[in-house]
Amino acid sequence: MTPRLLLPVLAGLLALAPARLPAAEHLLTLTDAKGKPVADAVVSLFPLDRPPPPAPPPPGLIIAQRDGEFIPLVVAVRVGAAVRFPNEDRIQHHVYSLSPAKRFDLPLHGGDTIPAVVLDQPGVVSVGCNIHDWMRSYVVVLDTPWFARSETDGLVRLTAPAGRYRREIWHHRLAKPLVTELVLADETPLAETLPLTLRRDRHPVRRSLTDPGSSY
Amino acid sequence: MRFRVRVLLLLAGLVAAVLGVMLLVVNWSAEREAIAEIRDRFDRAAETFQNLLDRQFDHAAALASLLAADYAFKRAFADTDALTLKSNLRSHIDRVNDAAPGIADLLVLVTPEGDTRAAHGRSEAPAANTRPFAPLIARADARDTDRAQGCVWLGDRFHKFVLVPMLAPDLVAWVGLGQRIDDALAADLGQRSALDVVILRADGRPIASTLPTGLTAAFARLAPAAPAPSARPPVAHASTTPPRAVPHQTLDLVGERFLVLRATVPDFAEAGASVFVLSSLDARLAPTRRLQSLLLLAGAGLLALALLIALRFARSLSRPVQHLADHTRLIAAGDYDTRLDLRRRDEFGTLATAFNAMSTGLAERDLVRDLLDKNVSPEVAARLVRDGAALGGEERVVTVLFADLRGFTPLSEGLSAPDLVALLNRYLDRMSAALEAEGGVIDKYIGDEIMALFGAPVAAPDSADRAVRAALAMRAALAALNRELAAEGRPPLGFGVGINTARVVAGNIGSHRRLNYSVIGDGVNLAARLQTLTRRPEFDTDIIISDFTRAALLAPVPLRDLGPTPVKGKTHPIHVHAVV
Repeated sequence: MTPRLLLPVLAGLLALAPARLPAAEHLLTLTDAKGKPVADAVVSLFPLDRPPPPAPPPPGLIIAQRDGEFIPLVVAVRVGAAVRFPNEDRIQHHVYSLSPAKRFDLPLHGGDTIPAVVLDQPGVVSVGCNIHDWMRSYVVVLDTPWFARSETDGLVRLTAPAGRYRREIWHHRLAKPLVTELVLADETPLAETLPLTLRRDRHPVRRSLTDPGSSY
Repeated sequence: MRFRVRVLLLLAGLVAAVLGVMLLVVNWSAEREAIAEIRDRFDRAAETFQNLLDRQFDHAAALASLLAADYAFKRAFADTDALTLKSNLRSHIDRVNDAAPGIADLLVLVTPEGDTRAAHGRSEAPAANTRPFAPLIARADARDTDRAQGCVWLGDRFHKFVLVPMLAPDLVAWVGLGQRIDDALAADLGQRSALDVVILRADGRPIASTLPTGLTAAFARLAPAAPAPSARPPVAHASTTPPRAVPHQTLDLVGERFLVLRATVPDFAEAGASVFVLSSLDARLAPTRRLQSLLLLAGAGLLALALLIALRFARSLSRPVQHLADHTRLIAAGDYDTRLDLRRRDEFGTLATAFNAMSTGLAERDLVRDLLDKNVSPEVAARLVRDGAALGGEERVVTVLFADLRGFTPLSEGLSAPDLVALLNRYLDRMSAALEAEGGVIDKYIGDEIMALFGAPVAAPDSADRAVRAALAMRAALAALNRELAAEGRPPLGFGVGINTARVVAGNIGSHRRLNYSVIGDGVNLAARLQTLTRRPEFDTDIIISDFTRAALLAPVPLRDLGPTPVKGKTHPIHVHAVV
């Protein structure tokens, strides 16, 4: 896990600390229908018995455009996060989002010249590039400090105060988020393995940014 | 029935039969070929249709994909401004139809759930509370395909639609291009398959057709009942399924025979529409019908020609037969001289030659008979003709007469040979006539001597009387001849006659090649001897008969008894008489 990707998790953990509540652990293993681990799923916990703790000062988030891809593909942030879109490629990109959670349009640009976009609404912001159809990134904007993203092992570890939660699992290939209620208890980690029914990824295949064979 | 008529009927019947069989065979094989050819087209029709539809879907999908990728379009969709979106749709459908005229009758924007967000085009937009594209999208989701496609009803218009995802960058909507299924599409299908095409609704109403309206309506009434819409085969594209051999039907549409097959086109079947391919058997057979008319015409000509030839042939057969029949009647009437000339080299010619040979043979037989009559006496000739020239003999009593010419030698002096013979024949002719008048048979001429028989070969009880009367007649005939000769200034002729009656042997005497009917025996020699006695002056008579003859006479004849006279070759004298 790169330090950048750790940031939201750390932010969540930090948000937990002042509450001084006993911490309960939730371990989730996500697989597909065939049992293979599913990466890039975002699992979030929403407390049902109390309001979510207040958001910390908005952390910085970077979604880079590198080698014709958005890096990372999936990122989860707390509401209020500001995202920068630095372009590390030699060609320009036109970054946009038509998602209701956050609509923005960053016309062709190169380098790290455009201002950060503040994600002030919860929801999934699908980010695309107008001139490279395959480029995409998903920013899951959450109004809770307890969330995590699965890695390639499909494993998600969440630590939250004991209590009742609404658990939401989002994946870009899920038809809709998977919502469950669960209760976390002190000292007894809740472990679960969950197979997900993933849709086909209706997405254009990656092509060369410029002419085949030429470098950029 | 006359032979000529039979030949005519036979030939005409043969030609007609050959012609009829030929026409039947042509008809049968042409119909078989036509059906096989149509079936062959039928076999490929479903595949051809699906290929065409797939290509059209591909084409429309390509155009729709370009629209779906348009950023402004995506933004317009994301905006809730319906007016702007509609305007955008309008300009897009115009662009599409500019690029590919007629390909888009309706452009729709459908949410992933299947709700129509916006629509524009010359076709009617889906009604507000309907979700016609939902099944197509559900199918695409279920089959995990890149695009959704199929047929939908918009109002009472049948359309084929292709929907492609609008990605921003995930699926936010489906962009659909729809084209009406009408006669133009049917014509396109029909042209590719070289068949007629009729597309019917589940309720039997026509959607599109290549047939004239009347025929389409007739077909819609007769069309086989539509089966329940069959599910698509579980493969991505129906075109990969092999065309199934479905039995065709034969229908009569307004008097025209059509072969009909329901083509398996899943895109249509799913929407409850049936595609029928048809082909007019009669239209396909039209060239054959023309050929048959020509054959019939040629056949009629041939028949006429055959009749003409048959007529000539029959005549050429019956005419010589008639000639032969006529000739037979001529021959029966005894005309052996007329010759049959058919001027033919065939069997009739041979027959004619045989007839002529027969005539010749018959004529020769008559001639032989005639000659026989002249050379032998008519009685002998008749007997020969009747009994055949059998050798052998019989004993019978006959009277033999010998007549010898006297005074011929001085008469013949100074005469040429022909004159001599003529004179001799003149004498013999008179004598013979006298003899034959009494039924005498000239046995032979021995130079100027005559030997005649009475009572042979035909028995005559009065042979002696006949012989004596004949001798007297000869005497008179000679006197008459002598008067003629005297008038001619020639010396008179004399003769001596000897007659004897005796039992002799009579028969055909001679070799196998040459026979003479004659008599042999002492009595014959005696007659010849008696003739020589007339030379003796003391007897002073020219006719001497033996006493045997006198005894045989039935009627008295004036005689002068000369008494027994020694005769050469006889040991005892013979009693002789002179006829006064």
